Amino acid sequence: MDTKENGENINAVSKAGNLSAGNNSHNLANHTCEGCGRSDLAEQERRRLRALEVVAQLSVIGALLCFIGVGVTYWVGGQNQFLGGFLAAGLALLGIGVIVIGKYFMPQGPFVEQRHEISSTVQQKQLFEEALVERGGSAFKRRKFLGVLMGASATMFGITFAFPWIRSLGPLPGKTLFQTWWRPGSRVVTVHGRPVKVDDLEVGGILTVFPEGHAGSSMSQTILIRAASLPITTRKGRETWSPHGYLGFSKICTHAGCPVGLYEEQSQQLLCPCHQSIFDVLDGAVPVFGPAPRPLPQLPLGVDEEGYLRARSDFLEPVGPGFWERTTA
Amino acid sequence: MNSTGYTNGKLAGSVDWMDQRLGLARIGRKIMDKIFPDHWSFMLGEIALYSFIVLVITGVFLTLYYVPSSQQIIYHGSYLPLRGRRVSEAYASTVNLSLNVRGGLLMRQMHHWAADVFTAAIVIHLCRIFFTGAFRRPRELNWIVGIILLILAISNGFTGYSLPDDLISGTGLRIMFSIILSIPVIGTYLGFFIFGGNFPGKLIIPRLYIIHVFIIPIIIAGLLGMHLGLLIYHKHTQFSGKGRREQNVVGSPLWPTFVAKTTGLFLMTFAFIAALGAFIQINPIWQFGPYQPYKISYAVQPDWYMGWLDGAMRIMPSWEWTGFGHTWPLEVFIPAVALPGLTFTLLFAWPFLEAHFGKDKAEHHLLDRPRDKPLRTAIGAGALSFYVVLFGASATDVLANFFQTSLNLVLWSFRITVVIVPIAIAFLTYKICKELTETPYSGQRKRAVVMVRSPQGGYNAYRADPHPDTKAGQVAEPVPIEPESTQA
Amino acid sequence: MPYHKKLIRMLLLPALLVLLSTGFAVISIYRNGSFAARTSLVSTGTSVSTGASQAGAEKSNTVSIPKSLIPEGHILFIENCSSCHTNTGEGSYRGPNLVGLGAATVDFWVSTGRMPLSQPGIEAVQKPSRLTRQQTLAIVAYVTSLGKGGPPIPKVNLKHANVSEGQTLFALNCASCHTITGSGDALSNRSFSSSLHIASPTQIAEALRIGPGNMPRFGPRTLNHKEVEDIAAYVTRFIQHPNNAGGVGLGGVGPVAEGFIALLIGLGGLMLVSFWIGDRQEKEESRDGH
Ligand code: FES
Repeated sequence: MDTKENGENINAVSKAGNLSAGNNSHNLANHTCEGCGRSDLAEQERRRLRALEVVAQLSVIGALLCFIGVGVTYWVGGQNQFLGGFLAAGLALLGIGVIVIGKYFMPQGPFVEQRHEISSTVQQKQLFEEALVERGGSAFKRRKFLGVLMGASATMFGITFAFPWIRSLGPLPGKTLFQTWWRPGSRVVTVHGRPVKVDDLEVGGILTVFPEGHAGSSMSQTILIRAASLPITTRKGRETWSPHGYLGFSKICTHAGCPVGLYEEQSQQLLCPCHQSIFDVLDGAVPVFGPAPRPLPQLPLGVDEEGYLRARSDFLEPVGPGFWERTTA
Repeated sequence: MNSTGYTNGKLAGSVDWMDQRLGLARIGRKIMDKIFPDHWSFMLGEIALYSFIVLVITGVFLTLYYVPSSQQIIYHGSYLPLRGRRVSEAYASTVNLSLNVRGGLLMRQMHHWAADVFTAAIVIHLCRIFFTGAFRRPRELNWIVGIILLILAISNGFTGYSLPDDLISGTGLRIMFSIILSIPVIGTYLGFFIFGGNFPGKLIIPRLYIIHVFIIPIIIAGLLGMHLGLLIYHKHTQFSGKGRREQNVVGSPLWPTFVAKTTGLFLMTFAFIAALGAFIQINPIWQFGPYQPYKISYAVQPDWYMGWLDGAMRIMPSWEWTGFGHTWPLEVFIPAVALPGLTFTLLFAWPFLEAHFGKDKAEHHLLDRPRDKPLRTAIGAGALSFYVVLFGASATDVLANFFQTSLNLVLWSFRITVVIVPIAIAFLTYKICKELTETPYSGQRKRAVVMVRSPQGGYNAYRADPHPDTKAGQVAEPVPIEPESTQA
Repeated sequence: MPYHKKLIRMLLLPALLVLLSTGFAVISIYRNGSFAARTSLVSTGTSVSTGASQAGAEKSNTVSIPKSLIPEGHILFIENCSSCHTNTGEGSYRGPNLVGLGAATVDFWVSTGRMPLSQPGIEAVQKPSRLTRQQTLAIVAYVTSLGKGGPPIPKVNLKHANVSEGQTLFALNCASCHTITGSGDALSNRSFSSSLHIASPTQIAEALRIGPGNMPRFGPRTLNHKEVEDIAAYVTRFIQHPNNAGGVGLGGVGPVAEGFIALLIGLGGLMLVSFWIGDRQEKEESRDGH
């Protein structure tokens, strides 16, 4: 495999224009150790090549059989492991056959090819530049104004033709990111649209909820946690937001927007499965760990006379990850 | 020139016909005589090329079944846990193609594995180019083309990953939307324009589809042609060695040796991808269920080539900044936009930076051994380890679970290692390179050292001649390959 | 090098490939049960729930435990539990109060092997229970006799369960902690969501009702009994016996494992192939003069 050609030998061959196979079979003989006879090595080399030929033949026969196997497997149902297994084995065996031929029965280097000069001569460069500027520019030389006009109209084409490519792609953001479907008095419903009553959750229970009429809404998704049986004040000014210990937090992570669905009941933490931001539920869901920058907005909740949970208002701040206009509203 | 009387060859008729129209004989012979160096590390790019071919072959099959639509339909297929569920057409068609189309699962898995191998091969190929200095003049342009190809490969990997609309990929898209939102000034508009409105919207799947199956592949194919064209035009680089000089290229001829070897490599690439597709399950979307914006699975990661970005997002401290009346979501922007931006800018600029600061603007066709350029090698190794650590950080939760240790601890150790490890690796690499270049005979086959006692009683050590059994003495001078035959 | 050695070396690669292929095939056959009928239901044992369901409470969805087990339970309790929970089950600084916790709680902790602890003070982990079903129920009977309250042991019947309903409920309520493949993962501060691969239907139902450890509690008004059965059916059938039509499932941990395979087996293997095809020697003694 690592045998290198004897110079003379190959030279003669290549002059004849025929880089035929097998001519590397003699070359070892030229570097013999004195101890062993020339014919011995030649014989060894001949046997080696013979064996390699057998390997190639066997591989290709194997490949043929494997490809038949692919056909049969497909015919009887295309079971994935057999189908792919036969395919892989067939391709690999064929590949081995081809490689053996290429590596042992074809002319091996080192052959040499001269590189050409990449750079042109100074004169050539000059001629090129002249042709580019003079030949092409001569028409415009005396008609400067026309050139400017052409440039201007081409630019205008570029700009106006880009309009649909940008502006037609989607609606303007407007206030979309600032509001959800929660309205004062919205009933709290499950993903199936069933209104949630005040005794539906046990202490330590959670539920993903939506405003009535918008079950499944991506922006309005809220995680309802019953953290206690009595109201909890998570923050100053939120004394009335948690009837019967129900806390509602936006389920959209303030980091990159994943649903924060992982509630740890004992440690009273919400964990975002995407990048493991951890929010302290009893402290207004402030992030205590990880990359999330802001608390999850809390939904002010209340209970009506029939015992249904209702929102007192929308979230008081935009939900979800940060964006440029967030603080301008 | 246009001979009419060539009749004595075996293929006389067809050669003559083609030659009269294309001048085939002259050009063909020249091409066949092209020399390619044989070193194994020059084949890494070929692996990428062949994975791309597998990607195209399997991908075309997938398009015959996949429906790029977010339209919600009821699933009626054979997979029981989904029956009767509302799923998107995209998801339903992917499940159907996986479980009910004969050979479909194999094609899908091969496609996904091929994508993973494709990007991996590009990265390794890039490392080879980098550490051997193959990007130097005159090859800077080809380096740039290569980097663009890497970016396109990663982008197409991500778009393809998102197409099935399963629970995991939908989460990936959600994060992507937030990443776009984090871009100052234009982020919100950009996000709304790309997604056709607020996330999730109904337009993103069809848009990703056309990008994934048409726009990016066409650009990749074009750039690949350019990459190879430039390679042929410049002729391949080579390591220095006996008879190998800046002015020549030593190796095997294109026809038939190189063609046979590279065909073999193509078949082997195909075989490995087929074996992976057959035996190792990848992205079993039927187990994940359809994406709903309010559902989530723990332990979600992107494919490996996006893993470094996910890792960076995980270990980034929560540095959102509010100033000038605006929100700057730096905790997302820095790891997910600025980091890749900086990475690829530096990659693009590297050949020029090195030429400028290394004061070497000469043409190079002989490659460096990494140790010969300790500074470059050290910087490269350090940077590489940086990305490896980031990739590791994308599995903080999996690692914490595997080692049954605290998530917080794992995260903090990544925050620390991501700073320390690259510096340490760079420093160590530099030292090792220095050491190696200064050690005589390093990297060469061992030889006996003979001690000779002089008549005066002193001792002298000599290196013995190479053992006759080694190939050391056998490296033949390269032979010119028929310069006269290329002349008309 | 003698030619036969080279021959062996060359045959190594195909041999390795064949070996790997067979290995993977065997593994995937083993893991999938059978190649045929991949999508058909694999009905798994629901033996636990039937063991104690004869007590006459057919109408209700709970398991009632015969009072006759209390004396045996008392003895077992003294032997296994009292050192931490005290003889009366009221708890001490070593273990919490058990009175009024209910049958499901006690059954869950004992039947999953989390209790009794192998030594006091260590973290409770799931392990094969060393008590028989009968003994477990006896302990449950004794503890429930100490005080009323808490959820009873749910009686889970998977016969009419709807796995498709179970899948959506699982994805909504369970996957965010246990992962969508049920392999479990790390939570904050050294707590973990457990793997669901060895839970029985009754244990799943109990866990939902009582919310052990950090797990939230899903009461009957959040998930009704039918929904609990749906989830249990989905978990025991499709989480514990996933349809790995594509081959080895890699433990359901997803892209990180897949990336390693692509890099090591895929690219690594192909680099070995290149290593075989290409030239390895790059420079010989040309630098001898150093
Ligand atoms: S999306 Fe919640 S931590 Fe990143």
